[in-house]
Amino acid sequence: MSSKTPASGTGFEPKIIAFVCTWCTYTGADLAGTSRMQMPPNVRVVRLNCSSRVNPQFVMRAFERGADGVIISGCHPGDCHYSTGNYFTRRRIAIFSELLDFVGVDSRRLTMSWVSASQGGKWRDVVSKAIANVKELGPFHQFSQVEGGEQQ
Amino acid sequence: MSEMNELAAKLLSEGTVKVVIGYEQGPAGVRPAFITDPAKAETLIFDSRCVQNLAVYLNPRRSHVVTLGKVAVIVKGCDSKAVAGLIREYQVKREDIVIIGVRCGGVVRRADMTAELTADTVSDKCQDCDVREPKFCDHLVLPLPPAPPITTRRADKIAELTKMTPDERWAYWSEQLDRCIRCHACREVCPLCTCVQCIADKNRPQWIPTSATLQGDVMWQITRVLHLAGRCVDCQECERACPLDIPLGLLTRYVAQMVEKRFDYKASDDPSVVAPMGEYRTDDEEGFIL
Amino acid sequence: MTIKMVSHADLAALVAELIAGNTQVIAPVQAKENPAATDYKQIQKLEDATLGTLPRRSIKEFLFPPSEVFLRYKQHKGDVTVEEASLTRPKQVIIGAKPCDVASTDILDKVMNWDYRDELWFARREATTIVSLLCPGLDNNCFCTSVGAGPDSTSGSDAMLIPVDGGYLVELVTEKGKALFGARAKEVTDSKLLAKVEELRQEARKKVEQNLPVVPAEMPEWLAANFANVYWDTLPLRCHGCGACTFVCPTCHCFEIADEREDVGGGVRRRNWDACQTGKFTVHTSGHNPRNTQKERFRQRVMHKFSIYPKRFGDLLCTGCGRCARVCPGGMSIQEAVCQLMEIAGAEPQGNGK
Repeated sequence: MSSKTPASGTGFEPKIIAFVCTWCTYTGADLAGTSRMQMPPNVRVVRLNCSSRVNPQFVMRAFERGADGVIISGCHPGDCHYSTGNYFTRRRIAIFSELLDFVGVDSRRLTMSWVSASQGGKWRDVVSKAIANVKELGPFHQFSQVEGGEQQ
Repeated sequence: MSEMNELAAKLLSEGTVKVVIGYEQGPAGVRPAFITDPAKAETLIFDSRCVQNLAVYLNPRRSHVVTLGKVAVIVKGCDSKAVAGLIREYQVKREDIVIIGVRCGGVVRRADMTAELTADTVSDKCQDCDVREPKFCDHLVLPLPPAPPITTRRADKIAELTKMTPDERWAYWSEQLDRCIRCHACREVCPLCTCVQCIADKNRPQWIPTSATLQGDVMWQITRVLHLAGRCVDCQECERACPLDIPLGLLTRYVAQMVEKRFDYKASDDPSVVAPMGEYRTDDEEGFIL
Repeated sequence: MTIKMVSHADLAALVAELIAGNTQVIAPVQAKENPAATDYKQIQKLEDATLGTLPRRSIKEFLFPPSEVFLRYKQHKGDVTVEEASLTRPKQVIIGAKPCDVASTDILDKVMNWDYRDELWFARREATTIVSLLCPGLDNNCFCTSVGAGPDSTSGSDAMLIPVDGGYLVELVTEKGKALFGARAKEVTDSKLLAKVEELRQEARKKVEQNLPVVPAEMPEWLAANFANVYWDTLPLRCHGCGACTFVCPTCHCFEIADEREDVGGGVRRRNWDACQTGKFTVHTSGHNPRNTQKERFRQRVMHKFSIYPKRFGDLLCTGCGRCARVCPGGMSIQEAVCQLMEIAGAEPQGNGK
């Protein structure tokens, strides 16, 4: 089963879930909004207190439930509201993303970023890049196969 | 009776421990033994068929073993790393166990194989061994056998997989994991799977589908391997236990390689060394982050 | 006992005809990643099959899948509609099934038709025709003759193939089996072949009989009376409680129910295999767990198979296939346990003639 359906010209609009931290990225995204920055509407934001609150289960569940891509975003290293949360996020998502790749889930579907509270423009860029990557990869079907092991 | 048997008999007869966990000859190959009677200590054996990781019996979820009393456990170098892991994570107290290290020349892949070590029969885990003589132990017994034969079987397969495109890898893993019937043998034989309630058993909310569908199978294995990142000692018991020959050792080995490359950490037999997922460096690599 | 002949070519033609008629044909097929192993799988032609081996999983999955949807639900605000999954099942023919696998079908029919009729089981049962293959006896983990089955047993089979030169003798056991083969099953012209069948059967039985004596008829009662025997304290020490034995066993049939959302406002209810060996199997909502350690859980497995089931239904819940011992990562062996129990019970090892 291929993970990639040719998406060009099919009008495929990916669904992207973004797990963002309250203190930096959420505020930055809010700034992008109040500054009237234009960005595609594919991203649904889930607000958490810190990027390290992101359990890889959240990402897998998002994919299982229809997301085609996921964004995880937090404060820049050194700026975490809880001092060290984002350092753990960095390690955890590094491993998780490379493991997904090894199993055959293209890690371009998972975008991680540092976006500070004043970086409305960067948020717009992150979102646009994520959407472009996922559009190219096509709809995500890999976690949808629900027939029983080998025989139905 | 070797020095191993004599030591076991002595620990039991002096009352230092209530049970010695080691290896014995079973009807279908070598298997774990639980010796409580010093007179039976002579049945303990150690040879290249002793593939099992006995540290798993120290896992506090093995309540029926815990109630036997103070334990002496026979460990190869790789197994001693699992014991260190259990102590590091406060699952076992160092003073509650006696560790008997055995010098090892490698083991075969399955306990019912003959003892002869060849490039074909030797376990993949022996290739990267750096503890043929266990350091983390109270006693060290038996002479050091020659080094195990070389096989690059697993490294070759991982190299082959990493060269593939994501789609090709998905084709491989979905074929392999589709066989999974969610027996969770991989979890139960792992010494480091100590959670009293495994996330796969949680149903309010349910994170991982319990059904033996490809969706459930993939999500389960990704979760299991991820939760072992930096903790797995590469004993390959998960792969050995799988009744359907799913190559789980490839996943655990890949994650171990990742951890080593990124965080300069190999499974350690020193309980005071902090595991990598529980710490950070301010200069950790972040090229993948926008 | 009707014994006829069928050639290789005729059997292959039968398979082709069944597949052309949209009947699924299932047979042992060599596993790609482990050429020494096979799995029962759907085949497209008879040459795809590797007959004569014991596949890793039993045939029970074709009658009782590892995960089976039986309800679908849709929910919109307060309205919920529930639809039972259809019970129509594709016709299937299993060729080359091991007698130890097949014997489980008649045994399980009893519990499946006990306090209620399990329509999911019987829907697949009725859609299935089973053609077994005489087994020569595999290795010292086999003990089918000790538990009332045998390498030549036709219990549960609609027909049994016996390999001879040029093809097979086929024993047509049921009307279904007769109908399946039809005119392809020809009269046996060489009477020496019939003698050969008897010889093959005896050879196979002798090979297996040396592994374990026959389980005595008193075993169920003795086990029930010895629930608290100290033997149970030491036997299960090495058991990991992993459930591998349960899942590969042809007669284990416990299941759990799981609801899974598949879409916004809709989902399914499934029944999934479960194993009494796992820690959480008997945990109550209060948190109390009557089978709290592996001692109780392993005892339960032996009791269910050799005491509880036979007392209720008359059959041992075991066909002696030996898979449990082959897959166990802890070196447990129900065969060894039964042997030790028989010794403790002071039973005289009984003769092996049936």
